[in-house]
Amino acid sequence: MGDDTNRLRRRLIAGGAGALAVSGLGSLSRTAFAQATTIQLPIANGKRNMVAFPEKRPLIVLTTRPPQLETPFEIFNEGIITPNDAFFVRYHNAGIPTSIDGDKHVIKIGGNAAGKPFELTVAELRSQFKPIEYVAVNQCSGNSRGLFSPRVTGGQLTNGAMGNARWVGVPLKDVLARAEVKNTAKQVTFNGLDTAVFGGGDFVKSLDVSHALDGEVMLAYQMNGADIPMLNGYPVKLVVPGYYGTYWVKHLSEIEVIDSVFEGFWMKPAYRIPDNDCACVEPGTAPSATRPIGRFNVRSFITSVQDGARLRAGQQAVVRGIAFDGGQGIREVAYSTDGGQIWREAKLGNDLGRYSFREFTFAFTPDKGTYDLRIRAWNRSGQSQPMDALWQPAGYMRNVVERVSVTAV
Amino acid sequence: MNSKPIFAAALSALVLSLGGMTLTNAKSITLPTEAPSLKPSALPGYAKAQTNCVACHSAEYMLYQPPTAPRAYWEAMVTRMKAVFKAPIDDADMPVIVDYLVKAYGNEQPR
Repeated sequence: MGDDTNRLRRRLIAGGAGALAVSGLGSLSRTAFAQATTIQLPIANGKRNMVAFPEKRPLIVLTTRPPQLETPFEIFNEGIITPNDAFFVRYHNAGIPTSIDGDKHVIKIGGNAAGKPFELTVAELRSQFKPIEYVAVNQCSGNSRGLFSPRVTGGQLTNGAMGNARWVGVPLKDVLARAEVKNTAKQVTFNGLDTAVFGGGDFVKSLDVSHALDGEVMLAYQMNGADIPMLNGYPVKLVVPGYYGTYWVKHLSEIEVIDSVFEGFWMKPAYRIPDNDCACVEPGTAPSATRPIGRFNVRSFITSVQDGARLRAGQQAVVRGIAFDGGQGIREVAYSTDGGQIWREAKLGNDLGRYSFREFTFAFTPDKGTYDLRIRAWNRSGQSQPMDALWQPAGYMRNVVERVSVTAV
Repeated sequence: MNSKPIFAAALSALVLSLGGMTLTNAKSITLPTEAPSLKPSALPGYAKAQTNCVACHSAEYMLYQPPTAPRAYWEAMVTRMKAVFKAPIDDADMPVIVDYLVKAYGNEQPR
């Protein structure tokens, strides 16, 4: 943890212009927060505490109860895989489990379109099914919401509500096969151990049955070679690769195969996007029709230099970053050092699979002056990122071409 | 500098072996409880918000909203807390709570 603090201090020095302030937390209880640090996110009203929650290093606290934690962006430059103790956390209700026996934990499988309801412990899930493994990004629907202009209400995140992990688990398809899914089945719903304080608004999500049976959606019991951290869904989490984190139900305890379209609060009206090609509307307006949020769009970020960084003139700088999409895989990343007038191809790093972050690098040798760096990625079906940010009232799916201004001296 | 907060929650991941027969894999955590408080105010909604809002969630939900958040947003949220989440808020208290929230956190804050 001393290393983290040192890194933050280095960024404070390197970033300049008050990009990040680490300080004592004067306005709160000196005893409780005596050693807490704060971070200033680059948005109005963006001062946040940084606190180490159980199994986590100090992360940006969006809310304490229930826990919502954002990953400090410099973590994404440490490697293509996001460490478990730095992975973002997002709960919806404050009734969260704090003590679980990971082997005895039971998943109930039923519903009115399941011919043969049954129960399964996690020990049985591990021992009775053949596991699969892949690397996949999990990203919060509202990642980057705080950067919307005009601002929208909701959880004010910057770009750290995402992470990339290696997941091991059992295909949902194999588990559902034992339940003998009826041909009346339309959707599958997922519930976890977390509960709503007064009973209303329990967090339940649904997928279409064809999606649930695609062989990729998995009941994961391992994350980056270890147990899943409690705050990320120990002991078993639904992993829906390419889809926003809202579907990745934690502490999974109940699966129902149903003959209707599930319309609980968290499917409707929550987590909806404008029902059009861009999933966007004119800023300040409301969509005329909505649909449930689905796959990630294409995103890319420079990770090795922060906005406002200084480089040495006349010396080659290697700039690194990450790109990802909803599961086609990244085909190309282009970069510009002049604000988007001239584009060149960046070099792609190792391919860890089409659901993973993909590393890219490019080298350039700046003369003295300021450089407006831009990054734009394309996936294998040609989808890319808009040069100007799209807007929608819920603040989901931001994927504008990012800009990082650096000065060579 | 030791950056680990003194209240940082204890974690115990226990692997218990009982007589070599039973193997369990239990995990327990203790969550931090310290969080920012609601902004003090002379408005009557301040006390009502302390009773009704932070019973379920910490005050960062209000504190970190953009300062442009209009009265309609705070009305929609208080209504949602009762209608969807079944928060036991008296109907008579709801306008008072909304008034406090928009003046403490929204676009009716004194400049």
